[in-house]
Amino acid sequence: MNIELPPLVALLLFPGGLFLLSAGTVYEWADRKLVARFQNRIGPRWFQPVADVVKLLAKEEIVPDGVNPVLFHGLPVVALVGTLTAALYVPMAGIAPSYSFTGDLIVTLYLLSLMTLSMGLAGANTLDRFSLIGATRALTQLFSYEAPFLMALLGPAIAAGSWQISQVDAYAQGHWWLVLTQPVGFLVALVGLMGKLELPPFDSPEAETEIVAGPMTEYSGRGWALFRIGRDVELLVGLTLMAAFYLGGLANPIEFMLKTGGLLLVTAALQSLFCRLRIDQTVGMWWRIGILLALAQLFLLVFMR
Amino acid sequence: MDTQQEPRKTFVVPIGPQHPALKEPGHFEITVDGEIVTAATVRLGYVHRGIEKGVEQRNWAQAMYMLERICGICSHVHATAYALGVEALAGVQAPPRAQAIRVLVAELERVHSHLLWLGVAAHEGGFDTLFMYSWRDREMIMDVLEGLTGNRVNYSCNVLGGVKFDVDDTQADAIRRAVDFLEPRTHHYLKVVTTDETLIGRTRNVGKMTFLEAETLGTVGPTARASGVPRDIRVDSPYAAYPDFPVKTITATAGDLEAKFVVRIQELFESYRVIREILDKLPAGDLAVRVKPRVPPGETVSRVEAPRGELFYFLKSAGGPNPDRVKVRTPSLCNWGSVLATAPGHKLADVPMLIAGIDPCFSCNDRLVTVRRRSTAETWTWAKLRQYGIEYYR
Repeated sequence: MNIELPPLVALLLFPGGLFLLSAGTVYEWADRKLVARFQNRIGPRWFQPVADVVKLLAKEEIVPDGVNPVLFHGLPVVALVGTLTAALYVPMAGIAPSYSFTGDLIVTLYLLSLMTLSMGLAGANTLDRFSLIGATRALTQLFSYEAPFLMALLGPAIAAGSWQISQVDAYAQGHWWLVLTQPVGFLVALVGLMGKLELPPFDSPEAETEIVAGPMTEYSGRGWALFRIGRDVELLVGLTLMAAFYLGGLANPIEFMLKTGGLLLVTAALQSLFCRLRIDQTVGMWWRIGILLALAQLFLLVFMR
Repeated sequence: MDTQQEPRKTFVVPIGPQHPALKEPGHFEITVDGEIVTAATVRLGYVHRGIEKGVEQRNWAQAMYMLERICGICSHVHATAYALGVEALAGVQAPPRAQAIRVLVAELERVHSHLLWLGVAAHEGGFDTLFMYSWRDREMIMDVLEGLTGNRVNYSCNVLGGVKFDVDDTQADAIRRAVDFLEPRTHHYLKVVTTDETLIGRTRNVGKMTFLEAETLGTVGPTARASGVPRDIRVDSPYAAYPDFPVKTITATAGDLEAKFVVRIQELFESYRVIREILDKLPAGDLAVRVKPRVPPGETVSRVEAPRGELFYFLKSAGGPNPDRVKVRTPSLCNWGSVLATAPGHKLADVPMLIAGIDPCFSCNDRLVTVRRRSTAETWTWAKLRQYGIEYYR
């Protein structure tokens, strides 16, 4: 579906701005509810993520001693801005991307990485020992999943012969679902997305039973709220990207809802199935298995063309 | 080249006194080099409640209610240890039916405690699904215990010389139903902890303790049995109705966290078997015999097997209406050494699981702690301590 929107609307209302924020919280709720049901719990009510954010925004933000205040306040904003901007290049809600240029796939992926990078820096910025360890783990994890994730998303791009998200989406709509032809890439990308979002079992950067909240330990009010919204939006963008690339593209809002919802169901099931991986196990898994699988598929694609 | 090495600055990660991994206050200082633990120390004593001293102010019957509140999870074994000790001092013996009911409640309590531990240990490893499932199943036992005793936590089953309540057929059926429900579930959990790849990755060869180490560190209970030390008071010196309803000592040889999971889960099967056996062969007779309010002078040691290991009671009577001295040593205190000895060399991520591995009960093991600050050390009387407490909270 292709709709021309005035730039201001695209940035502030749809698909950027308000729509992203509200849809992000809805997806967070769906994720939490699904995991809760898998774990035999009741789960939160539908407005819980919104209520959390409103409460956090209203709270006093305590700036701890020994931090650089500019970074402390700035990093959450950078993280949120990065993910919000990334959303403009993906076929959000099944509508063609608002902005598109050759190679925007790479830009989008780097914008999505800003989130983890900001979290790592935010953790390293404080003197808190839990934050420092969490920051180290977050950045270590970033370096382990990033390359396989990127390669897994390059698979469809190579098949489509373009590094432009809208063209890959169009290619996917016109062909077999790529999850059938490139199952390995789909798997690596899905698990990579979970690592990116630090969802269980890849939540060792913020393992609460070890290091409290990891890099986020010292964040209390606004900053923490912004990081949370940022992650919600990243979840939404990541799912959209995955659905557009591997699940036959996103032609209209209904397809968007069904496909991203289905992906969310799979990630929620994966979240409740496993025990948390230690950071060395995470890194080992990615560099011993993930990268090899992604590379094998990449070579196969290059030679098959 | 500079051959002299700079002394490395140590990076200490504090776990506790307030920390999401700890359900009770305790303080661990974990020295790490990157992610690797190089040293670990523990400081206890945040929840000292003065129970031993408090007991001396109460008469023999009242003391039991206080001692029962030492632990919220294994309250019944505390009361049993005390009751058995007082009965030995008084020279009476509870009737067989009472002893059987004591063992029945003790085994039900062990089931609920081990299922609780399974959940907590899984949660420390980030496996919340297992946590939620095992706690859901544990509710069955909680309901049974509530139906039996009227309470979910402090069962208050014992009196000096016997027990308070009888087990009728409806209750026996309810217990059988719960056990029938739990047995297949427990088989499933055993399968999960021995086959789930991610869980094995966190438990196998983690916190390995050899037979010799377990012996030297003086570990008790499932912690010792996981290393192959056959130490179980129910078998070594059977008390209450255990001579009539013998249990088998469950041991494993690996000594790692996985072995601790396996030992505790297999003990559940043993508990189910004993529970069924007691319900089938409950001896007839009275529920209690009379114990005089004044206990003849003397000393005794009473040992029982709590879910966490050997629970030790020393009782001294001066012939009066009150106990002269009651000393309690809970199993958690014996097992701390094993955590501190095994932690170095492991990853920081393993530490919460290592701590949880011994099923620690902080509030139970805190006894008198004397802090000596050079010359200002002084011994307070009970009256002064009480006054201090009143002033402090005014």
